[in-house]
Amino acid sequence: MEENLNPVYKDKAYGQHRELSYSYGDGGTFEKTVGFHGEADRLILQQAWDLFHERIEEARQRVLAGKASPVVYFMEKNLLDPMNLSMMAGISLWRVKWHFKPGVFKRLNDKTLQKYAEAFNITVDQLRKIES
Amino acid sequence: MMDATKTIINYTHRQAGHCESGATSNLFKFNGLELSEPMAFGIGNGLYFSYIPFLKIQFAPMISFRNLPNTVFKRSTAYLGIESTVVKKIKDPREAMQMLDRNLEKGIPTGCQVGVFQLTFFPPEYRMHYNMHNLVVFGKEGNMYHVSDTVMEFPQLITYEDLLRVRYAKGAFAPQGKMYWINHAIDKPVDLKPAIVLGIKKTVYEMIGIPFPLIGVKGLRWMARDLKKWPRKHGDDKAAFYLGQILRMAEDFGTGGAGFRYIYGAFLKEAGEMFGNHMELLEASDMMGKTANKWRDFTYMGARNCKNRSKPEEDYGTLSEKLLDIAVSEEKVYQKLKKIKF
Repeated sequence: MEENLNPVYKDKAYGQHRELSYSYGDGGTFEKTVGFHGEADRLILQQAWDLFHERIEEARQRVLAGKASPVVYFMEKNLLDPMNLSMMAGISLWRVKWHFKPGVFKRLNDKTLQKYAEAFNITVDQLRKIES
Repeated sequence: MMDATKTIINYTHRQAGHCESGATSNLFKFNGLELSEPMAFGIGNGLYFSYIPFLKIQFAPMISFRNLPNTVFKRSTAYLGIESTVVKKIKDPREAMQMLDRNLEKGIPTGCQVGVFQLTFFPPEYRMHYNMHNLVVFGKEGNMYHVSDTVMEFPQLITYEDLLRVRYAKGAFAPQGKMYWINHAIDKPVDLKPAIVLGIKKTVYEMIGIPFPLIGVKGLRWMARDLKKWPRKHGDDKAAFYLGQILRMAEDFGTGGAGFRYIYGAFLKEAGEMFGNHMELLEASDMMGKTANKWRDFTYMGARNCKNRSKPEEDYGTLSEKLLDIAVSEEKVYQKLKKIKF
């Protein structure tokens, strides 16, 4: 099992996936190779994931400071934007944005909370309080 | 819902570069027609480009390197004259799963459109809200389904609940339980040549013929021009992220940029050989291969730029020039293909 792992990401959960890629050589032949993704792919993925983690962490801090509702944190955690969230939860965009305020979020009824919980694939209790 | 039924169809899983053409090629193989992945990709018009700057997907402009979902399967079966069924939308998720079960009992491997984000076995770095992924379900064992996802090296297992969730993923281009299969085994020999001609004509039309500036080579040019403006318009961080998004779309999700050009080049080469070493097709294949190498260089340059962020304006300028150069050489390939008389 050990030698099947990607040497660059030895103890990480990601980057362990071998994909098939095509290439074109000088001899005019197209070749298929199976291997881990190369350096360029790694840099691009790393950059995107760094940014996503940054956004998630920032959202978490804002929620803990009482400046935003947990909906914001879970939205960032699920890599959503308000538009997509409104599509997934079936709540209008305007109302989704309104629910970003912590005060408004506290007064939400169970039905709406359930919609959000389903969109985030968690329970309502998990939605109410986030891990610090 | 636990039942002890066990039906596994003898289905060959082959890894592929692109999810839908891979699934299509594997389905054809199961039904007795040996069709390579590049062939399925070329006949079914996998190659496409559109750039929609005013629609944002995951905080960046929407770029699509592939056709609408299911195009490859639908067009390749239509052009080859093979009977197939596509169920576009099933309202009730449970009914959709039952339909799938019935198909499996009849011994029909069934392709499904799914969303990637909640797909349990998918590599975590590719988790994204992308609803145009395809996999083929070919077996059921109790509560578990055997699926063949051509992105993965081996067939995978997924539970009933998880499969239901990904088949009803929400958001843009929601799958809504879409499924497709080939009706019966292909027993008479199929002539590929007319299908290849139709496929090439359609792709050429889609890349240079559509009179709308955001699709095909025109869209590529538009994006190249926009790329130059990003650092001044949005600031360095956001421009780097946008660039990263282009590259991510180009190289990672079902390959896209260079990957698709390699597959298309391989298709043209195979087609050329089938037409008795057709010179022009082979030349076009060579040009396509070289364009694909340019795409690969573009990705490397872009990735380095993302990392270093030195002299952003200058780097974006060169990247934009590189992309315009790619657009020119791609257009030459399509013009050449357009002129070929078969």
